[in-house]
Amino acid sequence: MNQILTIFIIGFIALIGNWIGYKVPIMESLPGILLLAVITLIGMGFTRILPFKSPVIVWISLFAMLATSPFFPGNEYTAAAIAKINLLALATPILAYAGLSLGKDVHLFKQLSWRIVVVSLVVFTGTFLFATLFAEIVFKIQGDF
Amino acid sequence: MAEARVNEYKLHFLVLILVALTEFIGTKKISIGIGVIALFPMLYALVLGGAISWPKFKFLSEKEMNVAANILGVSFLLFIAKLGANIGPELPKLLGSGASLIVQEMGHIVGTIALGLPFALWLGLKREAIGATYSLDREPNLAIIVDKFGANSAEARGALGVYICGTLFGAIYMSILASILGSSGLFHPISLAMGAAVGSGSMMAAATGSLAVIFPEAEKDILFYSGAANLMMSIVGTYVCIFFSLPVTQKLYAWLEPIIGRKSASSTAEGGRKSA
Repeated sequence: MNQILTIFIIGFIALIGNWIGYKVPIMESLPGILLLAVITLIGMGFTRILPFKSPVIVWISLFAMLATSPFFPGNEYTAAAIAKINLLALATPILAYAGLSLGKDVHLFKQLSWRIVVVSLVVFTGTFLFATLFAEIVFKIQGDF
Repeated sequence: MAEARVNEYKLHFLVLILVALTEFIGTKKISIGIGVIALFPMLYALVLGGAISWPKFKFLSEKEMNVAANILGVSFLLFIAKLGANIGPELPKLLGSGASLIVQEMGHIVGTIALGLPFALWLGLKREAIGATYSLDREPNLAIIVDKFGANSAEARGALGVYICGTLFGAIYMSILASILGSSGLFHPISLAMGAAVGSGSMMAAATGSLAVIFPEAEKDILFYSGAANLMMSIVGTYVCIFFSLPVTQKLYAWLEPIIGRKSASSTAEGGRKSA
């Protein structure tokens, strides 16, 4: 119950962000946010009733894909409504919550050596750079661009 | 329970204020010679939120910060739904890019290990290097390491270290990296979008956001391909870590450590010189 409420509160915050940052009137983004919330809740519920453990983001991704795919009834309306929600309007609340949780890791951070900090940055660079590079190479080989 | 609820509303309210304020400020672009760095609302929100939760200010309790971290996990789900909804209408296009999706997933694994492991050994890390470089070290990866080596092992220490650094400045770093790689002109926005799906919600949000600011004309494609790459990562990522990247990192460690690892603790004289 608590999680359902949380989803709607976050949706409301994103609505405000979408209005202030991207000038989409609240009434216009409301259907899109509600649809995203419903898809998210269905994904969460589905993960819970499954007899085996699986990551919730897999099911939410799949249901969102399905609901907007050409073979699903009402897909055009759903896709158009969700398209009104700017991705960044959804990302800002995420990083705001992330920011508010940072303090708890500060004292742990002080125990780390500078070496692990440098290694972390190299690891972040590596995963981003190599995945980009590999994707680029395959696209070039396939002649996509 | 009642107390935890009160705390939760305080957090939501703070986030609402942060979102309203930062969205009002809007996106700014700064040219830094090698490229354009995009500063946008989510980054201000992260930094301001971090300042609010700074332990010295005692504005938020440790418990409230933990609740914030839990809500962070839930807020990420709406973002995921949005990414999924971007893929749906063009599902056939996804099948056409199957090969690059699989290969970029390999790139994520190879990248952390190939770049991270030798570097960690060169800096003098020992078995910490295995935990630190076998993956990006988010929650599932920490669980894998603890399960295999125990919570007090050197491997778990390394993994936890990268995890903490990722939480503290992963998102900021990723958005800067995305800005630099994006404006370097070396890569196509679509390849970068796939690379941005690194397997962490906040880092991915930050990197994807930067790319969308730098390539506004390709925003739809960026969402599409990062969403697809992220889905790929979340389906196979955990298994790849258990059955491939962790064993490979251990093998490479055994092979490379005698070659480039520091011989003994006393050889840290060089390290001391470096930090001077």
